[in-house]
Amino acid sequence: MLKLLVPVDGSESSGRAVAHLIKKLGWFKDGAEIHLLNVQHQIPYGNRVSSVIGHDKLAQYHQEEGMAALKKAMQQLDAAKLKYHYHIGVGDEADVICRYAKEKGCDQIFMGTRGLGSVSNLVLGSVATKVIHLSPVPVLLVK
Amino acid sequence: MEFMNELQTAVFWVGLWQIILVNIVLSGDNAVVIALAARSLPPHQQKKAIAWGAGAAVAMRIVLTIIAVELLRWPWLKLIGAVLLLWIAVKLLLPEDGGSEGVDSSDNLWAAIKTILIADLVMSLDNVIAVAAAAKGSITLLVLGLAISIPLVIFGATMLMKLMDRWPIIITIGAALLGWVAGDMAVTDPVVKDWVDANAAWLHWAAPVAGAVFVVAAGKWLAARAEAGHKEVVDLGEGSETKAPH
Repeated sequence: MLKLLVPVDGSESSGRAVAHLIKKLGWFKDGAEIHLLNVQHQIPYGNRVSSVIGHDKLAQYHQEEGMAALKKAMQQLDAAKLKYHYHIGVGDEADVICRYAKEKGCDQIFMGTRGLGSVSNLVLGSVATKVIHLSPVPVLLVK
Repeated sequence: MEFMNELQTAVFWVGLWQIILVNIVLSGDNAVVIALAARSLPPHQQKKAIAWGAGAAVAMRIVLTIIAVELLRWPWLKLIGAVLLLWIAVKLLLPEDGGSEGVDSSDNLWAAIKTILIADLVMSLDNVIAVAAAAKGSITLLVLGLAISIPLVIFGATMLMKLMDRWPIIITIGAALLGWVAGDMAVTDPVVKDWVDANAAWLHWAAPVAGAVFVVAAGKWLAARAEAGHKEVVDLGEGSETKAPH
């Protein structure tokens, strides 16, 4: 079965990408194994914050924020009665997405073009742009 | 009128900008710690923890600023402060290492307040040393530094996190600036000042440059080493949903 990596951030754009995926799942002969991925930003200030707050608490924070960002896509897939896996990573979005695709042996990345906070690139989000450059596998962008 | 004259010098404005940047970095971390520590509390306790935490941070900054003004006249203390600043600056550039244990991670009000108070003490001290170094003995700048840091600690967490998300380079610039002011402060310590002025006036620009370069080089090198240690992507939310019988 084709392994699809679907990075989402809870934005409208990533919602459209998931909706599109659900609609076009028939493209893939044997269906697809869907892996949702949300990437959370590192807390700034180096390790000054973590050395006080503790690693566990930071991980918990990222996890809660990550689950909140995944919620919309999970609901969409639940409503379509589709099976999926979900993951939360921490770091630079494009970097984590591409490393993830490589490490977990994903066959394709399937994502929206404009996530949250990508004003720097109006036509194509900066994350999507960077993913295209870094990705080890084909990337499908949904506008 | 001394105050009005001071306003018209370039040194004052450069100092002011340095202090603003120092505060964005070294008051921001305090604000983020308070917000994170309060987060797991029930909503009505969250407000209380944030109010007390920010209040304590402000109080500690005022007291420490007054102490710092006095102490920095003593011999050796500027040199010690400079070394501390270099260490603080390098730490800013290190990635979150995953191994460090926090003060306490239990979820009750007192544990949160304890975390916040320890953070306030450590981070206020760092902040005051850095602001004092940038102020170069100007009381006006020191007080302005204090005034700028207070709203940042109280209201800044969310805004600053967004700012750093958008421009992560701010941290590197901030760390380099700390290295700069550390070098600057070191050569004005009463122990070395007379010798430097007489024999090696060039140290007044060479030491700050060396401080900034040292911080960025050491920080990047240590960060690269730490990164190489754990290359694997950490998955915080691994799971699968099987609503549909396949």
